[in-house]
Amino acid sequence: MNSPRALLGRVRVVLCQAIGLYDGPTGLLLRKQLDRLDGPLRVAVAGQLKAGKSTLLNALVGEQIAPTDAGECTKVVTWYRYGHQPRITLYPNESAPIGLPVRKVDGALRLDLRGLAPDAVDRLLVDWPSANLRETVLIDTPGLGSASAEVSGNAVRFFSPEAGPADADAVVYLMRHLHRTDIRLLESFHTNGIGQPGPQGNPLATVAVLSRADEIGVGRLDALQSARRVAERYRADDRLRVLCGTVVPVAGLLAQTARTLRQEEFSALAALSTAPRAELDAALLSVDRFTGASPELAATLGVSAAARAALLERFGLFGVRLGSVLVRQGFGEPPALAAELVRRSGIDLLRGVLATRFAERRDLLKARSALQALDTVLRNSPRPDTEGVRRMVEHIIADAHEFTELRVLSMLRAGRASLPGPTGAEAERLLGGSGGQIAARLGLPRDAPRAEQRAVVLAALQRWQALAEHPLSGRAFVDVARVVIRTCEGIVAEVS
Amino acid sequence: MPNPKAIELVGIAVRAATAYQRDDLLDRLKWTAERLADPGARVLVVGEFKQGKSMLINALVNAPVCPVDDDVATAVPTEVRYADQPELVLIEQAEPDAPRTERRSVPIDHIAQYVSDTGDPADRSGLRHVEVGIPRSVLADGLCLVDTPGVGGLDSTHGAATMAALPAADAVLLVSDAAGEYSASELEFLRQTTELCPTVCCVLTKIDLYPRWRRIAELDVQRLRAAGLATQVLPVSATLRTAAIDHQDHGLNAESGFPALIEYLRTEVMANSGRLADRSAAHDVLAVTGQLTASMTAELAALRDPEGSAGLLAELARATERVDKLRTRSARWQQTLSDGVADLTADIDHDLRERMRGILHEAELELDAVDPVTIAEQFADWLRRRVAAAASANFVWTNQRVRWLSGRVAERFGADGATGLPVMRGRRQGPALGRVAEFAMPEAESFGFGQKWIIGMRGGYGGTLMVGMASTLAGLTLLNPLSIAAGVLLGRKTIKDERKRQLQRRQSEAKNAARRYIDEVLFQLGKESRDLLREAHRMLRDHFTQLAEELSRSLTESTLAAQRAVKLDETDRERRVLDLEAELARVDHLAATAAELAESAGFRSVTTDSVESEELG
Repeated sequence: MNSPRALLGRVRVVLCQAIGLYDGPTGLLLRKQLDRLDGPLRVAVAGQLKAGKSTLLNALVGEQIAPTDAGECTKVVTWYRYGHQPRITLYPNESAPIGLPVRKVDGALRLDLRGLAPDAVDRLLVDWPSANLRETVLIDTPGLGSASAEVSGNAVRFFSPEAGPADADAVVYLMRHLHRTDIRLLESFHTNGIGQPGPQGNPLATVAVLSRADEIGVGRLDALQSARRVAERYRADDRLRVLCGTVVPVAGLLAQTARTLRQEEFSALAALSTAPRAELDAALLSVDRFTGASPELAATLGVSAAARAALLERFGLFGVRLGSVLVRQGFGEPPALAAELVRRSGIDLLRGVLATRFAERRDLLKARSALQALDTVLRNSPRPDTEGVRRMVEHIIADAHEFTELRVLSMLRAGRASLPGPTGAEAERLLGGSGGQIAARLGLPRDAPRAEQRAVVLAALQRWQALAEHPLSGRAFVDVARVVIRTCEGIVAEVS
Repeated sequence: MPNPKAIELVGIAVRAATAYQRDDLLDRLKWTAERLADPGARVLVVGEFKQGKSMLINALVNAPVCPVDDDVATAVPTEVRYADQPELVLIEQAEPDAPRTERRSVPIDHIAQYVSDTGDPADRSGLRHVEVGIPRSVLADGLCLVDTPGVGGLDSTHGAATMAALPAADAVLLVSDAAGEYSASELEFLRQTTELCPTVCCVLTKIDLYPRWRRIAELDVQRLRAAGLATQVLPVSATLRTAAIDHQDHGLNAESGFPALIEYLRTEVMANSGRLADRSAAHDVLAVTGQLTASMTAELAALRDPEGSAGLLAELARATERVDKLRTRSARWQQTLSDGVADLTADIDHDLRERMRGILHEAELELDAVDPVTIAEQFADWLRRRVAAAASANFVWTNQRVRWLSGRVAERFGADGATGLPVMRGRRQGPALGRVAEFAMPEAESFGFGQKWIIGMRGGYGGTLMVGMASTLAGLTLLNPLSIAAGVLLGRKTIKDERKRQLQRRQSEAKNAARRYIDEVLFQLGKESRDLLREAHRMLRDHFTQLAEELSRSLTESTLAAQRAVKLDETDRERRVLDLEAELARVDHLAATAAELAESAGFRSVTTDSVESEELG
């Protein structure tokens, strides 16, 4: 469907008109929105403190760029975007931007605030030549609920700016378990615009991640199954369904390491896998046992204490356990092991979800952000000659079928328009609840032939038309059915 | 384990008081003996959910008494105590208003069904807490571990309940895992906890899993110190402890950190609670011996120096007068107490009202901005949470102020006469929001198609008629395109107006419901806090009145004894002096033993001054 493109065009036109009317800082703000329309999608990584935000960001980029630490590490909002040359720029609140030297310490980027307090810094901008950043700008945010108020304050300001529109188009929300605070934070995204297409809440611009998934099962080998079960339960939770599109479990540290696996680490794991089982299990009982400095241990395990400590730092106890077992099971080459670890970590699943939910809807999400910004400006500083623009904005929001789809979807998810059993699930899918591509909407594999797509969509169309005309269908049902029918008609036009 | 020395001491004191026929003192000693016999210490295990609280208890007692799961959290408080046979008792309250709770024994292997946040919630309805008894030597000294539902869990309304249980606890273990340093909410919880229960220890769990747990422990300590808390941090690993028990491996056990935790429970918590019991026993015995010797010393003085007895009697009379003044209602301590309680009642009521008003104001702003029906559930949840938080903050403050007041009164009493601070018995209850009916958003008026049609038609009919009548003048029929268009327009306007009116009505109804809810909360909590203060008032008054009465009786006896002594003849007098000296020596010996006990029990107390002393470290 290429109508999001058309939508983007209409938004661009109305933005240009508005820019013509405003000057000064407001005009500048609108001009920035125009630039945003042409730029990549902005995805913020949010969550409470120590949820593993920077680690997950590294796993997504596939490189260790965001600095990570045992203690609280990210103190200011940091943007990672594509650039030909590595470059770091510091934007203080009060003064001009400062270029920082690009330095790597132990493989991770060194970000230095030049002695400024965290709340005196607006943001850091990192340009990095990574293919994974071409399509999206990733924004690392400080932990919400940090014990130091100035650090949390930075994140709060980023997500709910007092003046002007929010900076992110979509949010990946990380949590260790579903804490009540998490629900509250997700709700605040809604009331503060990020989740909203026009006046309605939208769970589709938010994806929740059960980060540190290996720790849910305290590092046991079956920990990730456990995490999947937990995620499944959360996905079915009505309170969460309203707030985010889906819940994905990811073992962040494992993913980050697997995507940056080094030869010496593989050799260490291989050595461990040949060590006697009983001794290895005893050593893997706790982190302190595993990093013990005695020469006998080094001899039995075949890996020096320093190498073991380094391994633990990169893999975590779960990663070491899993890695050594996998090597023993026959993943005898670094690329094979890395691929298997990546698969198990769940990061690919998350990348897939991000691709279907964010990247494919890129234009729609960007259009929505721009309309929101414009709406805020028109509301806050109305002028007699902006009436026309305002009407156009309202018209776009009401008229674009994409927004209608989002509205109906969020209504369905919030349970405000409930459809019986399988019908509800089908409606959500057709409206793009699990991905905006045609194949995903029809519940077909990506490479399904056109003829099959056409057959499926025609069947769906007929079914929904029958449902809409059925005399016993309620009013709310008919409203939803009409939207679904229009979606189906669009798909039919597309595949014919 | 009760201190045999203290029990013996109290026994002698009871015999002495019986011998001297001072039944007023006997009452006090009986209470002392009771307290000594049951020195159990309740240790609350608290923390955010999914941090390993249940696992910690299981590893401590080496038995799977608290269900552990990757996903499902504890939902009902579980008390683990010593018993000769494993047993499980449910403590239920049939209805929220029922005055009494009922106990019901069930097979121990059914525990998960009642305690875990899973299965049928109907099983848990009315369940207040469960008690598990198991034969373990760790618990034999009367240690009672309480597993609490985690704070912050999605379905837990337990935050306030945990808060409420704190004043009755002898110690608190705050559990947090080594995945990360303390968050703002954990620190805030800890701060509130130390205000209600000064013996707090932070336990850092799962250290087997996190390579950097030492750094996290360090950061935690930094955060604690920055917040002005001197609490220690004990790193432990339940996994290692379980493995150590399985393999009978002492080295592993030491690594698990549990020996240090058990040591802490024994030396700090149990011994402290034992010390406290010893100290108050010694204190009581000392007070009793003081009262006993008073009359004997007076008699002895009169016997030894009959000429000076006039002066002695005059002094006794003055003392009696002074003590009698303490007994009158106009005594200065009485005034301090009643003024203090009056001020306190007013302050606390005001504080509560102020907090509730703030919440109501926020709620109204919120309701003005949206259609109440769309946020019914979130709003009810938000309101309940805010009210519970405000209630527990108010509760903490009330407790602090009561403690401060009792200190003031004791000071007054001491300045005027004797000293001694009452042992404040913690209430086993806190803010009881349970009795307040749940907040319910008023139902939306249905505005179905039929109604819309009727209302639209009503408006449209008027419009058609109006324009139609006018247009008949121009020679058109009543139903012409113009009049129909007017009808449609007016009909639509009527529907729109009706919709707006209904929204406004919903908003004002929701606001009214919120107001009613807050009123109800204020009513219940106001009564609660007034009851709490009245209880404290009565307790303090009775305590000091009794002290004054004991003093007065001792003085009367002294006066009588001195008067008797003057009347005796020479030989009787000498015999009586010898008798009295022997008696006095015995009582003095008792006092010396009591003083020794008090000395050995040290000064680690859990009464008023300990909050400050904790902070000073």
